[in-house]
Amino acid sequence: MIGIPGFILDFFAALMLLVAAVSAARLALDRPWHRGLMNADVDGAHVLMGIAMAGMLVTSLSTLPNGVWTVIFSVLTAWFVWCVYRESRGGGVRVLMDSHHAPHLVHSAAMVYMFAAITTPAAGHGSGMAGMGGAGGAMPTLAVPGLAFIFAILLAGYAVVDLDRLSGPALHASYLPAVSAAPAGVPVAAAATGSGITSPGPVPAAATRPEGVATLPEQAASPPPPAGARGHGGGPFRDLLLNPRTAAVCRIAMGVTMAFMLVIMI
Amino acid sequence: MSNIAVAGGRATWRGRLRAEGVWQPPDTRRVLQLALAAVWLLDAVLQYQSFMFTKAFGQMLAGTAAGNPSVIAGPIGWDARLVEHHAVLINTIFATTQLLLALGIAFRPTVRAALAASIVWSLGVWWFGEGLGMVLTPSASPVNGAPGAVIIYALLAVLLWPSDRHAATAPFTAARAVGVQTAQVLWLVLWGSLAYFALLPGNRAAQGLSGMVGGMAGGEPGWLASLDNHAASLLAHQGLAASIVLAIALAVIAVGVYLPAPAARATVVLAIVVAALIWIFGEAFGAILAGGATDPNSGLLLIVLALAYWPARKVPAATAPAAAGPATHEAAEEGATP
Repeated sequence: MIGIPGFILDFFAALMLLVAAVSAARLALDRPWHRGLMNADVDGAHVLMGIAMAGMLVTSLSTLPNGVWTVIFSVLTAWFVWCVYRESRGGGVRVLMDSHHAPHLVHSAAMVYMFAAITTPAAGHGSGMAGMGGAGGAMPTLAVPGLAFIFAILLAGYAVVDLDRLSGPALHASYLPAVSAAPAGVPVAAAATGSGITSPGPVPAAATRPEGVATLPEQAASPPPPAGARGHGGGPFRDLLLNPRTAAVCRIAMGVTMAFMLVIMI
Repeated sequence: MSNIAVAGGRATWRGRLRAEGVWQPPDTRRVLQLALAAVWLLDAVLQYQSFMFTKAFGQMLAGTAAGNPSVIAGPIGWDARLVEHHAVLINTIFATTQLLLALGIAFRPTVRAALAASIVWSLGVWWFGEGLGMVLTPSASPVNGAPGAVIIYALLAVLLWPSDRHAATAPFTAARAVGVQTAQVLWLVLWGSLAYFALLPGNRAAQGLSGMVGGMAGGEPGWLASLDNHAASLLAHQGLAASIVLAIALAVIAVGVYLPAPAARATVVLAIVVAALIWIFGEAFGAILAGGATDPNSGLLLIVLALAYWPARKVPAATAPAAAGPATHEAAEEGATP
């Protein structure tokens, strides 16, 4: 049996490592220890998922045993469950599309599923799972393939919705946590220099997010950054990295790659 | 196209990306476009399965020539041999093209180009990959995917085209770009042809539908195989009665689009139910769970199509936006999503 051509797996693995690198850079530049952990969980999750998925795609890139990854992503899933629960209070089912953390919950849960349900073929070796284009072309498969199908549909749905929100004239509120530290009364656009985020006007301290551009209530209540903390305006490269659209692009790349992996292992 | 025009176009969509404004929630048509994009994305990742990079994919394509007239079958055979000999290269192009179509439809500045490309691509695949959905053969059946999933992609691209030439009079989303009459005729032809296929001799045979449904169980997970086997048992020796009931239901759906709004809504609901039954029992979710599927098959797309024909609630003119241009998300149909 011939597996998927190596160059395709290499491409997706490289894409995942790029996502991990960009997310790591965002973590370093955003200084979550100064600005609060508002986005650190998402970028941190992207770093971990990027490394783990690259290892699944290409054997030589695998880093940790499956059991360890399962535990890591189980913890991450539990964290995102908590975040979504917090965001959903008063929001109901609609939060599943509008919440900042819901897509990340699906991504984390899909990772848990992949690592827990994978059936490694006999030809596979290594510290992690056999690469998908592994020796002899033996392709790992997933137990409970119905779950893989459901996750693939959800991931495809979130990817296209993300792309739609990303390409509109203004960003959806769920992308806004990166600018959450804007002081009360300061226009969101002013706090997100170079981010492309716009707001109809000053955001009151008790801002709500009815449909579009506004901060989440808990974000509006966040304290302003310390006096010593630098803003986002530090050059085009830095602005590009810290732009919420960059995080969204990472999420789309991750969602598409994850859907690809789930389907080819059915 | 001149360089100036190209540069202008780039500036326009880049400008739109940077433009200040308020995020606009997608209207019904945009939601359906995104559903179409998601199905294309699913289609693309299915195309990346290892099976597709083998000679078996070419042989599968060759199989669609059987029963077709020679003028149709000849090019399919040529295409299948080409795929067999260059499976890796050609399938990589196929899968990547479908991935780009999905991303293009989801990305607002490229939605028109991607929808136009998807129509061309779908028509090509309908012929060379699906043998025109087998509609010219005696084995065509609404239960096994006729008239071909990919032609419904093309139909959706036409009906969901981001134009509002007929928005003022459109009672449902599908009529906004092509007009009420064209949309109604397309619906009538599609569902009417399905009713016709249901009555073909192969489907009327005592074990026709039963064999078709039971045949989908192979390779499926236990729960789905069990569903298929139970459905096949129910249909055993009931081919004629089952095909007549199915044909009547499909015919009612076909004419439902001409009925007043309450009755039209009922037939759209019936269309969704029938499409879901076809997708689950007749197509086993496109046989995706068995591996080797090239697309989710027609049932899912018929559901998306039916949603595009859901009669919208009337919005008083005073509350509708005055200047709803083609690029905006019209509020006139907000709340029309069922």
